[in-house]
Amino acid sequence: MTNSLVRQWILTPIIHYRLFHNFTKQDFLGQFAASIGGLLWLFLTPIVQILTYAFVFSFVFRMESPEDFSETSFVLFMVIGYLPWFAFADTVARSPNLLIEKAPLITKVMFPTQIIPVVGTVVPYLTHGIGFGVLLLYMIFQGHLNWLWLWMPLVFFLQFLFTMGLVAIISALCVFLRDLQQLVGILVFIWFFLTPIVYPISMIQDESIQNLFLLNPMHSFVNIYREVVLLGEMPFTNLYIIIPVSLLTYLFGGWFYMRIKHAFGDVL
Amino acid sequence: MELPGQRIAVSNLHKDFKIYERPQDRLTELLLRKPRHTLYHVLSDISFAVDNGKSLGIVGVNGAGKSTLLKLLVGTLGPTSGNISINGQVAALLELGAGFHLEFSGRKNIYLNASLLGVPDDNIKALEKDIIEFSELDYFIDRPVKTYSSGMYVRLAFSIATMVRPDILIIDEALSVGDMAFQKKCIQRMNQFRKDRKTMVFCSHSMFHVQELCDSAIWIDKGKIREIGTSDEVVGHYEDYCNSKQTYNSIEKNTPDVPVTEEEAETEGPDETDLRDCRIDSVIVKSLEGEILDTIAPLSDVVLEMEVEVLVDGMTGNFGFAFMKSAEEPVVSFLTNDADDVTAVPLNKGDKFVVSLTVKNIAMRVGQFFIVAGVADESGLLWYETRYSKSVQIQANKGVGPLTMKADWQIEKQGR
Repeated sequence: MTNSLVRQWILTPIIHYRLFHNFTKQDFLGQFAASIGGLLWLFLTPIVQILTYAFVFSFVFRMESPEDFSETSFVLFMVIGYLPWFAFADTVARSPNLLIEKAPLITKVMFPTQIIPVVGTVVPYLTHGIGFGVLLLYMIFQGHLNWLWLWMPLVFFLQFLFTMGLVAIISALCVFLRDLQQLVGILVFIWFFLTPIVYPISMIQDESIQNLFLLNPMHSFVNIYREVVLLGEMPFTNLYIIIPVSLLTYLFGGWFYMRIKHAFGDVL
Repeated sequence: MELPGQRIAVSNLHKDFKIYERPQDRLTELLLRKPRHTLYHVLSDISFAVDNGKSLGIVGVNGAGKSTLLKLLVGTLGPTSGNISINGQVAALLELGAGFHLEFSGRKNIYLNASLLGVPDDNIKALEKDIIEFSELDYFIDRPVKTYSSGMYVRLAFSIATMVRPDILIIDEALSVGDMAFQKKCIQRMNQFRKDRKTMVFCSHSMFHVQELCDSAIWIDKGKIREIGTSDEVVGHYEDYCNSKQTYNSIEKNTPDVPVTEEEAETEGPDETDLRDCRIDSVIVKSLEGEILDTIAPLSDVVLEMEVEVLVDGMTGNFGFAFMKSAEEPVVSFLTNDADDVTAVPLNKGDKFVVSLTVKNIAMRVGQFFIVAGVADESGLLWYETRYSKSVQIQANKGVGPLTMKADWQIEKQGR
């Protein structure tokens, strides 16, 4: 079983490189092909959301960066958490439709369908990774670069694997339970506010409740990005959480997907 | 059990679909492990094999399970039970252009589509020119696929699927689209395939194509193999079955229109067998020598014959024959009423007649016909009874147009 999981799930993009490459290229460029402002829309959404949150939380609620981060403006503090979150949330929110919209292909052409959740994660991560990269470049110019940044690609990659595992599970389940589509949208919305992004976790007074947030892997990711970039510190508690959680989610997602993919043809 | 020469071996294949009345039933079943579905047997007990270099045709009426069988062969559906072994690289055209991205140009789509079909890395580049050439798309190849006509769409898809040179090509109804010229090219391409000793599985409603392109054929009826054999035989039997069904349908459709039945139904009660004035027991087409025909050569002479049994007393009858293209489309008619040398005969209960009409120099050149035979009243307007024959095929001769005529040529060179 391990063997086939490695071959059919982990190594898929390599074994079926040509397919992976063409699919990714098609889906990536497809985002811009139909509309005139394709590229613009992609960046406009996070920018508008960031500006809105900045207005509400920074201007209206007069939120300030927590003590440890006091050198940074609240908006920057928020954005460093928000951009990687947006990559995650956008990918997950798209996942229910991944297989359904490719139904004609899946029922009529025999190909390794597990390439679909892989591509479905790679494409938005590529897109939003650009935004996050631009932000990090800006931070470098602001003089925030330190040795711990070497962790950043690894952590972002772990977040990517974590997302891919979820995408595999959700996309496969949605073939059978179409209602999940609506549910996923609501859950992502709730998840956003349960992750300290537009507020610092220090606002939660009760320490035992603060510790409950460790159950949310997205909080750990966001916290790592913030502490590494802004403080030059690595929160190892968070790191020790996300390494196993990401890998297990990724592997379980792949296992689950491979388990039920044979039935897609009957249902789609 | 698989022999080395076999490309496809299918044994005892069954496929059931689970039908759920409501979508939530599927969930309930999943969670509570309580069966909530009814089973629908799409295919049962299918076994066959295709040797390397052979081609197999699949025929059957709509809904018989042909497409499901192809999907099982391709692997997009899993069998409920039974074995399928496929030996070699498969390219399938179950739906033309299934993977096309409408916003992208044809050229870009070649790449994704070919990689979906499993073309080895970097071979696509080498094939690109051939594909474009074969598809006759010219400069349209760089226009988005959404601007293509359906014919262009199909041409591109077919070009890609056949250009990748698979060991096994599985095609569903591919040739029914596209213009004649492209269809011809497709057939040439598929014949080339056969020459190259590639294996093909081909499902079509075009009996001609199945006969032309396939060595053997399977006739699937209600999910079971009804017949398996050489394509000529299977197609022949299948066509025969379809035609008799068609005839039956047109009779069904026609009966209520016969005025006699309606009138008498009102006066004499509901039991139909008692209402009829007469019964036509058979309608056949024979050669002059008395041999029953199902194909007629143009310009030949044939005898149309009906056997009539009279069921009531005191009628005067006229007889008629007509060649019909369909239940609504007569081609030519013959009625004793219109013939000067025949007089209407009195009909009495229990009388039996054999009525035959010799038709000379059949002028129809192509197509398929039924003969309708009928018994009418004295005026020739009220039909007591009509009956259709089995369909008769005209063996097309050289030429164009629906008709042919007996003709003599004379070519004289005039002195100047």
